[in-house]
Amino acid sequence: MLQKGTAKKVTIFVNEDTQHHFGSLFDAILEFLLHKGVSGATATRAIAGFGAHQVMHTTKIEILTEHLPIRIEFIESAQKVDEIMPTLYDMVTDGVIEVQDTNVVKVANKEHPSPPKGPHTEMKGTARLMRIYMGESDKWMEEPLYEAVVKRLRLMEIAGATVYRGILGYGAKGHTHKSSWFSRDLPIMISVVDSEEKLAAAITEIESMMQDGIIVLSDVDVIRLVHSRPAAESSHANG
Amino acid sequence: MRTVKKAQLLRLHFCESDQYNGKPLYEAIVDLCRELKIAGATVFRGLEGYGETAEIHRHRLIRKDQPIVVTIVDTPENLGRLIPEVEEMMDTGMIATSEVEYVRIEKPPAAGA
Repeated sequence: MLQKGTAKKVTIFVNEDTQHHFGSLFDAILEFLLHKGVSGATATRAIAGFGAHQVMHTTKIEILTEHLPIRIEFIESAQKVDEIMPTLYDMVTDGVIEVQDTNVVKVANKEHPSPPKGPHTEMKGTARLMRIYMGESDKWMEEPLYEAVVKRLRLMEIAGATVYRGILGYGAKGHTHKSSWFSRDLPIMISVVDSEEKLAAAITEIESMMQDGIIVLSDVDVIRLVHSRPAAESSHANG
Repeated sequence: MRTVKKAQLLRLHFCESDQYNGKPLYEAIVDLCRELKIAGATVFRGLEGYGETAEIHRHRLIRKDQPIVVTIVDTPENLGRLIPEVEEMMDTGMIATSEVEYVRIEKPPAAGA
């Protein structure tokens, strides 16, 4: 199963009509990858290109549409790539295999969720509660700051965040946050609970996004933590 | 530049229908905070709740009676000045304090906007 973090991206260039055991080579490669349980692979047909034979293949001229390049790409862990590379090397009789280091940012799979990630579940007993105060009209890159902050927290895999809108308030800026017919600048508070280290990292990020406001931290006891994915489902995904 | 400082967080729980001198109690408390130069105050309205009178506070068609929470972060000394006055103004409700750390963010308006 593909995990977040460092991985290898493999790109294979072959010709559309290269044969492999009475079938086309790219079909055979895809079937092999599927058989080996690779998380996903994509084959795309190019519209033009040339290879080691120094002959241009293009869709523009009918006679040259044979031998169009096919590009097969997949991302897997380094261990998996090592495992399947010898066979791939053997299969690609005419073409190029390229491997590069990559960084997987997100693996989202609706039907088969990936196993629950460690950091959330390890949090037991005590944790830190962070409250971030800001104004509703505060912006970050043209979007509401509170939305941007929640998105960023999500990217950082912070356990959870809740945005509250106040009905009245004031802060260091001195002006009253209230709702009127013409403008709306109510106070916003985001509350976040997670471990001290993760919140420390989050504060640095949030600080760079906020122009003005206050972040309040306190120690709390966590009584219950619900996993985002039930254990039964994750074992199913592993199997 | 980050400065983590110790402070106190004060939470006042009461209901929206509470009045003080003819205006909503939460407005009166925010005004009082300004007078006492408290760093800031934020009023939140809850969806539903109940308190010591066991009466359910929720939004009704005619009478708005939802729970209100006022949160204030300041030094223990400033809150010490505020709490007795707030106690005077509140008929029923709850006052809770907790120790917190805070990071104040203040940047010149032009930077990174």
